[in-house]
Amino acid sequence: MTTTAQSAVDLVGVTKTFRPPGADPVEAVRDIDLSIGRGEIVAFLGPNGAGKTTTLDMVLGLTDPTSGTVSVYGRAPRAAVLGGLVSAVLQTGGLLHDLSVRETVAVIASTYRDPQPVDEVLERAGLSALARRRVSKCSGGEQQRLRFALALLPNPDLLILDEPTAGMDVGARHEFWATMRAEVSAGRTVIFATHYLEEADTFAERIVMIARGAVVADGATQEIRARATGRTVTATLPPDRLDGAVRQLRATDSVTDVDTAGDRVVVRAGDSDAVALLLLSELGGTGLEITTGSLDDAFLALTSDGAQR
Amino acid sequence: MNTTYYRMELRRVVRDYMSLFFTAVLPAFLYVIFGASQGYSQEMLPTGEGNVAFYMMVSMAVYGAVTATTSIGGMAAVERMQGWGRQLGLTPMRDPQYVLVKTVLGLTVAAIPVTLIYALGFFTSAQGTGHLWVLTALLALVGAAMFSLYGLVFGLAFKTEGAVSAASGSLVILAFLGNLFFPLSGAMLMVAKFTPLYGIVALARYPVTDGWLISTDGPPVHEPLWVPVASVTVWLVIFATLAILLVQRGRGRQ
Repeated sequence: MTTTAQSAVDLVGVTKTFRPPGADPVEAVRDIDLSIGRGEIVAFLGPNGAGKTTTLDMVLGLTDPTSGTVSVYGRAPRAAVLGGLVSAVLQTGGLLHDLSVRETVAVIASTYRDPQPVDEVLERAGLSALARRRVSKCSGGEQQRLRFALALLPNPDLLILDEPTAGMDVGARHEFWATMRAEVSAGRTVIFATHYLEEADTFAERIVMIARGAVVADGATQEIRARATGRTVTATLPPDRLDGAVRQLRATDSVTDVDTAGDRVVVRAGDSDAVALLLLSELGGTGLEITTGSLDDAFLALTSDGAQR
Repeated sequence: MNTTYYRMELRRVVRDYMSLFFTAVLPAFLYVIFGASQGYSQEMLPTGEGNVAFYMMVSMAVYGAVTATTSIGGMAAVERMQGWGRQLGLTPMRDPQYVLVKTVLGLTVAAIPVTLIYALGFFTSAQGTGHLWVLTALLALVGAAMFSLYGLVFGLAFKTEGAVSAASGSLVILAFLGNLFFPLSGAMLMVAKFTPLYGIVALARYPVTDGWLISTDGPPVHEPLWVPVASVTVWLVIFATLAILLVQRGRGRQ
């Protein structure tokens, strides 16, 4: 076994530039390096136009990178698709409206050598009751579950979901993720793109934030959440106790970052109350301030133009 | 061939009553009006191999067949661009397999009007030497295959179902211009030879006409075989080139 066989997806120096005729070239993806291990559940989080879909298209072999290499289970992406190792739920389109739900599943099943049984896949995607319904008469959520059923056919090791809940109402979204959860416990690797922070937070183990075609943050969900949702606590400390206090703060749970500015200490932490209590009592701090940002503010801060990795 | 996929495609065609009407019933109706029920339909062609009704039967069969292949070629392009191509791109199905299914489908659907019109011809007034029935029907089908490229070009260029309907509709004009519905003469006949349906229908009729063109205002004129062959060749190159260029443009944009 080679080392690449340990990971599900490897992107090395991947760049994708579109050259629309008569317009300036667009760099949709800029020099992304990323490795996703087997069994990981990873969210690609980023605003619209960040390059999430383009990146996923390259992993699926639907488009080729301008430079760099993409490998899936150590193979070329298209080879992985042909081997039934990878499948995906795509963002839009992709269905023939004059077919029934069951016909759609049957016809895609016919392209695989050894597909999962059609009825079983319909059952797992919660579509058994709708099997005879025309695709054109299905709601957006139902069509999305149909795309999900299609993705289950090859029994893939890697499942890619490109904004799977876009356009669904809250109820449909919860239902979709409930179905997903059951499927994923089977040890699959899952990559999904979303711009809902809350989805990434509840479902992913790891979050890769993408903005303007580049990775701006990458880490365990708890870590990213702390960075995104934490508050900043600042206080003035007695100068002689500053060094000791910084060491103690760094050792505290939920603290992600400690800085000093003169005799003021700047602490970023998930649990700001505990830090504030510590600063005011044990550490003898004064002039305490707590500033907070919303999830969305933090997200924007990480992904906006000014932010650097 | 992937027969599940083929059967599903066939079901889609059968469900689409409106298109099926224009593909099958309308050309058959035209044959009855312009061919079977006319006084001149019993007249023999200059070759003596068949009568005018047989000649009209072949013409309308070509018209029905190209209507079928144009719409199937066009819809293939449109559905691929509306996202089904991406869905298939995620499966092990390769492009040549897809093209094979659609080609066999096009020929199957084109065979519907051909069979219907030939049956009408057989039971009404069409007369022709035995083997010419089979030969002309096959030539109509093979010639019609070229028009799946015509539909494909429209679908690729305009990306809407409306454009595909327009392409099918434009066949009425091309059929008039191509000496298909009504025998042309003089300057109009000269123009006809440069239009895309001319060569196909002339070749399908060739076994029974031997190149003698029917005229409404004078004696028959003879046309050598190379004229329709050249016409088909040139138009095939034009359609194929346009289709390839449009496919490449589509790829570059992805």
